[in-house]
Amino acid sequence: MTDAEDRLRALFAEDAPPARDPAFSTAVMERIARRRFLGEVALLSSFTLAGGSVLWAVGPSLAPTLAELSLGVTPLVGCLMLALTALAMLDRRIVKALGLES
Amino acid sequence: MSPKGLDAALVEAAQAGSTSAFARLVERHQQPVRAFLRRACGDWALADDLAQETFLAAWSRIGALKSGDSVRAWLCGIGYRKHLTAIRSAGRERARAQAWEAEKPPPSGAMSDERLTLEAAMSELPLDQRACVALCLAADFSHAEAAEALGLPLGTVKSHVTRGRARLLQALGGSDDGC
Repeated sequence: MTDAEDRLRALFAEDAPPARDPAFSTAVMERIARRRFLGEVALLSSFTLAGGSVLWAVGPSLAPTLAELSLGVTPLVGCLMLALTALAMLDRRIVKALGLES
Repeated sequence: MSPKGLDAALVEAAQAGSTSAFARLVERHQQPVRAFLRRACGDWALADDLAQETFLAAWSRIGALKSGDSVRAWLCGIGYRKHLTAIRSAGRERARAQAWEAEKPPPSGAMSDERLTLEAAMSELPLDQRACVALCLAADFSHAEAAEALGLPLGTVKSHVTRGRARLLQALGGSDDGC
């Protein structure tokens, strides 16, 4: 290290940015978050588009099978939904009143 | 933990996808990157824009950073290439000369004349020589680290620093006794 270098370094140091600059760091991280978000949206959009295209292509050939299947499954799904609703409504007080609590 | 060890740990976490680790890297390295770009461009607003672009590019390419590499040299290298791209684009070089005058802080204190002279002398240096001076004389980079950051041969960096220092000291009215 020489005096000349020290002198130059001192002059350079006068216009250095602050060691900590939350505004700058926040601006960078916001841009990164925005870029990640847009990337995720683009990815999900492409998956949705691909999935929609596949369904559109195979829909006509699958429609009769799905219609037939849904007729057989509908009663079972209805029973399951009723059972789940009843379980959700039967809170601890009712269970206790019926003497069902273990 | 040493600064280099902390950098390595943060890089590893960022490579695994941690944005908070990358935020710490931004916080730790924004000053040297911005200072380098300010001295290399002369235009403070452009330098800060380029610094933001540098960190965005760094986030995308963090996986390419090898263990043990200097993070600040890597970042300054990205920043320097962004600077070169910016000044190659139409109108930027012309705007840079105008912005150099417009963006500099108001002179203050006994050093202001010397600072103005230094800034004017810096603006007259060739780009790569200015970058070498900004890294080695202003930011404590070793010649090897600057060569890695700028993608220049070590001997070229040494000669750029020597010539740049001589020209700056000549402009400041001193003698180059440090070679």
